[in-house]
Amino acid sequence: MANVRLENVKKAFGPVQVLHGISLDIASGEFVSLLGASGCGKTTLLRIVAGLEAVTSGKVEIGGRDVTALAPEKRDISMMFQSYALLPHLSVAENIRFPLRMRGIGSREQQHEKVLAALETVQLGHLADRKPRQLSGGQQQRVALARAIVSDPQVLLLDEPLSNLDARLREDMQVELIEIHKRLKLTTIFVTHDQEEALSLSDRIVLFNAGKVEQQDTPADIYAQPATEFASNFLGSANLVPAEIGSDGSAILADGQSLAVGRELPVGKVSLVLRQEDLSIAAEDANGLKATVRTRVFLGARCRYILDLAGERIQILTGNDQTFAAGDTVSLSIDPARIRIIPR
Amino acid sequence: MSDRTENLLLAAPGLFLLALAFFLPIGQMLALSVEGPEGPTLAHFSRFLGDGFYLGVLWRTVRLSLIITVICALIGFPLAYIMARVGPRARLWLIILVILPLMTSVVVRTFGWVVLLSRNGLIPELLRDMGLAGRTFALMQTETAIVIGMVHVLLPFMALSILGVISRIDTRLEEAGRTMGCSFLQTIRTIVLPLSLPGVVAGSLLVFTLSASSFVTPNLLGGPRLQVLAASIYKSVTQTLDWPFAAAQAVILFAGILLVLIPYVRLTARDNG
Amino acid sequence: MASFLVPSWVRLAARIFIVVTVIFLLAPLVVVVGVSFSESQFIAFPPDGLSLRWYQTVLSDTVYTSAFWTSIRIALLVTVSATLLGGAAAIALHRRMLPGSAFLATFFLSPLVLPTIIYAIGMLMFWSAVFGPVSFVTLWIGHTVIAIPYVVRTTLAVLSESDPFLEEAARTMGAGRIQRLLYVVIPQGLPGLGAGAFFAFNISFDEAVLSLFLRKPGLTTLPVQIYGQLEFSPDPSVAAVSTIMIALTVVLILVIDRMLGLQRFAST
Repeated sequence: MANVRLENVKKAFGPVQVLHGISLDIASGEFVSLLGASGCGKTTLLRIVAGLEAVTSGKVEIGGRDVTALAPEKRDISMMFQSYALLPHLSVAENIRFPLRMRGIGSREQQHEKVLAALETVQLGHLADRKPRQLSGGQQQRVALARAIVSDPQVLLLDEPLSNLDARLREDMQVELIEIHKRLKLTTIFVTHDQEEALSLSDRIVLFNAGKVEQQDTPADIYAQPATEFASNFLGSANLVPAEIGSDGSAILADGQSLAVGRELPVGKVSLVLRQEDLSIAAEDANGLKATVRTRVFLGARCRYILDLAGERIQILTGNDQTFAAGDTVSLSIDPARIRIIPR
Repeated sequence: MSDRTENLLLAAPGLFLLALAFFLPIGQMLALSVEGPEGPTLAHFSRFLGDGFYLGVLWRTVRLSLIITVICALIGFPLAYIMARVGPRARLWLIILVILPLMTSVVVRTFGWVVLLSRNGLIPELLRDMGLAGRTFALMQTETAIVIGMVHVLLPFMALSILGVISRIDTRLEEAGRTMGCSFLQTIRTIVLPLSLPGVVAGSLLVFTLSASSFVTPNLLGGPRLQVLAASIYKSVTQTLDWPFAAAQAVILFAGILLVLIPYVRLTARDNG
Repeated sequence: MASFLVPSWVRLAARIFIVVTVIFLLAPLVVVVGVSFSESQFIAFPPDGLSLRWYQTVLSDTVYTSAFWTSIRIALLVTVSATLLGGAAAIALHRRMLPGSAFLATFFLSPLVLPTIIYAIGMLMFWSAVFGPVSFVTLWIGHTVIAIPYVVRTTLAVLSESDPFLEEAARTMGAGRIQRLLYVVIPQGLPGLGAGAFFAFNISFDEAVLSLFLRKPGLTTLPVQIYGQLEFSPDPSVAAVSTIMIALTVVLILVIDRMLGLQRFAST
């Protein structure tokens, strides 16, 4: 267990600049998610921490030691790959023992005990002698996890480890990851493009955009207070509506409707962040912003409307008690305190 | 040690062997083909190209190779298609039946044809008994014998080249063809054949190259009168001991094969690039 | 396509076609085997009578036995050298870290494209000019050159099917260079290396062209011996030797199929 420090890390593949100077401090025992769309550089950064990619410039420290030029096999890390990268010719137990064997950790008996303990942690004790291809995707995933934690590494790196699982398994694994992290307190860096995973697992989310850190914060804060349009777009299905703060302090939409925002703001152009679960919908004659229904999507317990609001396409999520049809005009209301405003 | 050094070390022994024991000898042969008593000369080439006998040998080589290639393609395509579309068990058997001759020495296989085609061998006798051939009918020492033997030697190459391509064609394309009104044969003609063309072309080039450069089968089945280019090269090396002339003939063979190969390599490089 | 979608006359025609083709492919081999059990002095098929006398002749004839041992010795040496050199090269090519990877791959496969006869002349002339008379070593080297591309191809084919992240994963688990080769890359490539080794043996053992160009008294392989007999005066003993070669090929094919699955390599 150790802290990780990245200092102005830059990476270019040929002419393509992938990381534009990333600095990051990860505390010992912290669970940090690197969140972003594919191609944003998050996986490259993880591979740099692993040592699988060299930095173009900058510095990587693990546990206070400069490891920038250190080969991955000499760093005390372990990494779980998206494809799991289980060695197909070795049994489950041999796969899990592999890092112990390579690093020469403990005697044969001690290794064996550690393997059994790791297998118990992921509840796969009964499959120790199987070959990886005889396992289901979810089981392979657990083996990969056991293999990643067995050597008690200073840092655990997870590269989209849940993306190959179906929805149910993914939820189970999330819970498992949380519990294992609680128990082992490994410094963990988790790369994902799935905001829900990042929100539910991490102590801190680092949001990436085009090779830069867009925002970093606790899940609750980054969700409630996205600092930029990108952040609000990426986290939660927020609606962004351009507006202008008028002299009376309310926001004026493109079609002239105005909306109280409940705070003092300087006059100027802004974007209103309206989360879809914060908006409520009512019949046309009620008070609120007027919008037109384009489509209604029935989701069982709930219902999603796609609406036109002042020329913008927005979504809202509501209960199923009232229904509106395409073409209906409706009124939208929102608690001013829940509106987030980003200067434009 | 860097990754590059490690990989270079891994590749180096093979690189050295091929450079010293493959490319250098070929260079040596190219040099020898223009070697004369008074410096470089094209005399060996002009001797070949100015002699009606050798031009006849060249023409026979090209003609037979083309015939062999066409026959191999005509048999190889349906064979490969059937291999690709039968059940896995039958496919394995067919692959074994194709690979067995392929992996058997050419000398042994040709020997089999010598037995079958000789004057009182099974095939001429059968033909005579059926009244399809006269008393004096013979197959040995004819171009027909060479073609039969060579098709046997080279058919597996053609079949496997085409099989490699056909087995990658999505069978649903054929089913889609049927739902769009194609008959079975139309599906073959409009869907399977065009898609397997790269395999047919690759197989044809391989068969043509191997056919033009082989001498064991033509020598044993065609006899000394029906010489092909490769047999003439072998003769120059082992009997007349005229090595520069042998080298010149090899260069002519090489050039002829490159003439066929290069447009193809260009074409496929463009497709993949 | 589901079989009921194929018209019945096509299925019938396909069946006839396959039977005829298989007969065509197997006929010369069957004939050779048949002749080898003949009792008569002359080569004839169907054989006259049944006997093993030609096998006795072959096994007691030093011309054949020494050719057989020459062939076996060269084939075994070629198996080792071609598998080592070709396997190592395939691993390096697979990692795609060398400059000009595509060119290198072509380089290693080039003996496959060039007709053996052209190489055979070059090798004969080169060796004579540089080292003098050809020897056992010449043939060993020559066969190794011809066999290397097969090992490279089968090994590359197998390696390319493996998870490309295995080596990186092994690095993150602390495996150094040698460990990665021994415990990750070689085990992944093993089926290809194995198939390549068998092919190398088969190619060397059956090869006639290079062996004919490099033949000299005392350096006669089995195919060269058979070729000489066929040109000169064939009797059923040639058939007996040929049958032994066919039997060896059958064993080799069965071994490759059992160990590695033939279908994988049939069209690579």
